[in-house]
Amino acid sequence: MPFEELRERLLRAGIAPRHVRRYLAELNDHLDDLIQTQRDAGYDAQNAAIRARARLGDDDDLAIAMLARPALYSLPARAPWLVFGLFPLAALIALCAVPIAFLAAAASWHVHSNGSPAAPAWFQDLALSLVFLGNWILTPLIAGLFALLASRQRLPARWPLIAGIVLAAIGFHMQASFPGPHQHGGSLGIGLSFPGGQDGMGWSGWLAVTLLTIAPAMLYRVWRGRSDFSIR
Amino acid sequence: MPSDNRYTDRTMTTNPSFMSGVPELLVLRLLQDREMYGYEIVAAVAAATGQVVAPKEGVIYPLLHDLEKEGLLRAQRRPAGGRTRVYYTLTSKGVRRLFDLSDEWTRMTRAIQHVLKGPSHAV
Repeated sequence: MPFEELRERLLRAGIAPRHVRRYLAELNDHLDDLIQTQRDAGYDAQNAAIRARARLGDDDDLAIAMLARPALYSLPARAPWLVFGLFPLAALIALCAVPIAFLAAAASWHVHSNGSPAAPAWFQDLALSLVFLGNWILTPLIAGLFALLASRQRLPARWPLIAGIVLAAIGFHMQASFPGPHQHGGSLGIGLSFPGGQDGMGWSGWLAVTLLTIAPAMLYRVWRGRSDFSIR
Repeated sequence: MPSDNRYTDRTMTTNPSFMSGVPELLVLRLLQDREMYGYEIVAAVAAATGQVVAPKEGVIYPLLHDLEKEGLLRAQRRPAGGRTRVYYTLTSKGVRRLFDLSDEWTRMTRAIQHVLKGPSHAV
């Protein structure tokens, strides 16, 4: 790839990946057109390629032109503390709100279709499944998405680690309270608790989910360390 | 011997700071006539300015991305010549910016011409 070094340089400097991707695609096409122009002018393949690249600009020219434009920088590069510090909290709020809405809809559907306000036997299983899904699968998955986001922008590993810690510290403590089977009335809730608390999953659960949640950031750290991001 | 006179010493050494804002004006003006992709735009700029304005060709793309981000251009991928090209079109906001820049440029060049004409303006 003729522009691989340029790609790494731009991503590491904070240019949004979509702009980098399009820039390189356009440069490739432009280079092909220039080479063809040189070939049409009578140069052999090697000379045509050299002259075309000189007209296109070297990596410094091409990088400086992009880096001089603040509008092309990505949000994670401009405000990583916002994306990796506060967005995980927003993700957790959504993580709680979605199961609550789903359970409320299921309860409403049950009451409407059966005409009885009593909680069905399957309701408890559904609520526990959602809590399990949120704690053990979605929370680590969200942490993985933040690690992926960091990798796309070649950000330091500390940022997805911060996101993972925020998620692990708060996110896995989801718990549900619901009316028992065939019990009339009662309240439905999903909330957070601290490890070792009365209704929480305990310290062993905390440790297991914490490891799962920060694992993507640690894997990214290892991958980043092994990758050759050497730039001029 | 093949000839390639698009780049002369004069064009290559054009003062970059003095050129500030000129590429934007030229791109907007040329795209007012028709939509183009990057290679066509660079060729059109070189042809329209008699090769005087001819920077390294690849540096046109950051400008195009920036103008698109500002809403002055619209980018559309379309197949052309066996490849997918990104065509750029002027938006209505781009037209307004072009008028503003043109006015500004005209005022500036008039003022500079006035200075260059000689000492008649001096007290």
